[in-house]
Amino acid sequence: MSDPKSDDYQEWNPASKRSAGPDLAARLMDDMDPEVLEFLKTTVNSFIKWDLVIFFSENPNTTDTAVNVARYIGRELGVTESELDELVQAKVLQRDRAGELLVYSLTADLAKRDRVRHFVAVVSDVQFRGKVFYHLIRGMR
Amino acid sequence: MERIKSGVPGLDEMLAGGFLAQSANLVEGAPGTGKTTLGMQFIYNGITKFNQPGLILTFEEFPQQYYDDAASYGWDLRALEQANQLRVIMTSPEVSHADLERVDGRIQAMIQEIGAARILVDSLTHFDRLSDDPITRRGLLFSFINSLKRERLTSLLTRESTTLIGGIEGPEEDVAFVVDSYLLLRYVEIESAIRKALLVLKLRGSDHAKDIRQFEITRTGIDVRSKFEGREGIMSGNPRRMADSFVEAFVKRS
Repeated sequence: MSDPKSDDYQEWNPASKRSAGPDLAARLMDDMDPEVLEFLKTTVNSFIKWDLVIFFSENPNTTDTAVNVARYIGRELGVTESELDELVQAKVLQRDRAGELLVYSLTADLAKRDRVRHFVAVVSDVQFRGKVFYHLIRGMR
Repeated sequence: MERIKSGVPGLDEMLAGGFLAQSANLVEGAPGTGKTTLGMQFIYNGITKFNQPGLILTFEEFPQQYYDDAASYGWDLRALEQANQLRVIMTSPEVSHADLERVDGRIQAMIQEIGAARILVDSLTHFDRLSDDPITRRGLLFSFINSLKRERLTSLLTRESTTLIGGIEGPEEDVAFVVDSYLLLRYVEIESAIRKALLVLKLRGSDHAKDIRQFEITRTGIDVRSKFEGREGIMSGNPRRMADSFVEAFVKRS
């Protein structure tokens, strides 16, 4: 579908629409809650982060190591660990020491928790989720 | 001696009034015998009947599973969490153990936040993977259970039994030594039907029922009923009528 000359591409992204102004992604994002859009652009910019944010939002009392969190969300440790650290930098998660262990949990900051909760509530809408997926895939290119 | 009632019909009577306050209580049984249900009922009743907030500490089982299972008995765990009377915590044995060893740990903070008096730990079986060395494992288990006591919690600890039916095993030495009570849940086969049996093997410093009771998991939770009358060998999983064994022992011999 990425070949602009293909029939599939023409059907999916007709010339009339392409010439109508901003690209498809921009148009898809037009009606998106600006706060959620910002959260997507700056914080949840990968599918692994998406899984992690949903996981910690659904399990707000969880504190665990990167090894165990990776297992819970069904991802490889290597990639999960770096994504966890980026979410710590974004202050969505916090990283603490429990004895010798480095553990991750949802931030204690209530305002940030509200933002996460709002994001998770919004993305539970199937149509909206489609737009978000498109945004994420586009960001991965 | 202060008692902590489970509120489970029939069980407190077997325990001579309930569990001992700030004690560690082990419930062992095969999958599906009702260990987690018994534990959730202990926590739910504590909050709703005895005004004792509680924690559910789950190892590798998602909280959503507990919300769903509890809802099928009419227990709204989410509402209790929102009312700050319950916290469902999913973590791992190594992290909870390390956390409880800290003076400012997250679990301790949650205990103080809601004034928790009870805890369900589901299940101790996950400690097995922390070390292959039984001495190290026993040390971890001891300090974990002691830290629950230090927090003045009355705990109900589940442990999976590998035996599905019958074949009663001796209590695992390491755990049996440190817990204050030991309850066994077993499947038994009677006249081609599977029934469930409960036995209180140990209740430290107190009398308790010595008979084996049958129990059902009903729409409102566990209901402990009468003892198995006229049968023996219940915990073998395949009991016989006492009359049959009498015949076998005396009549056939003559």
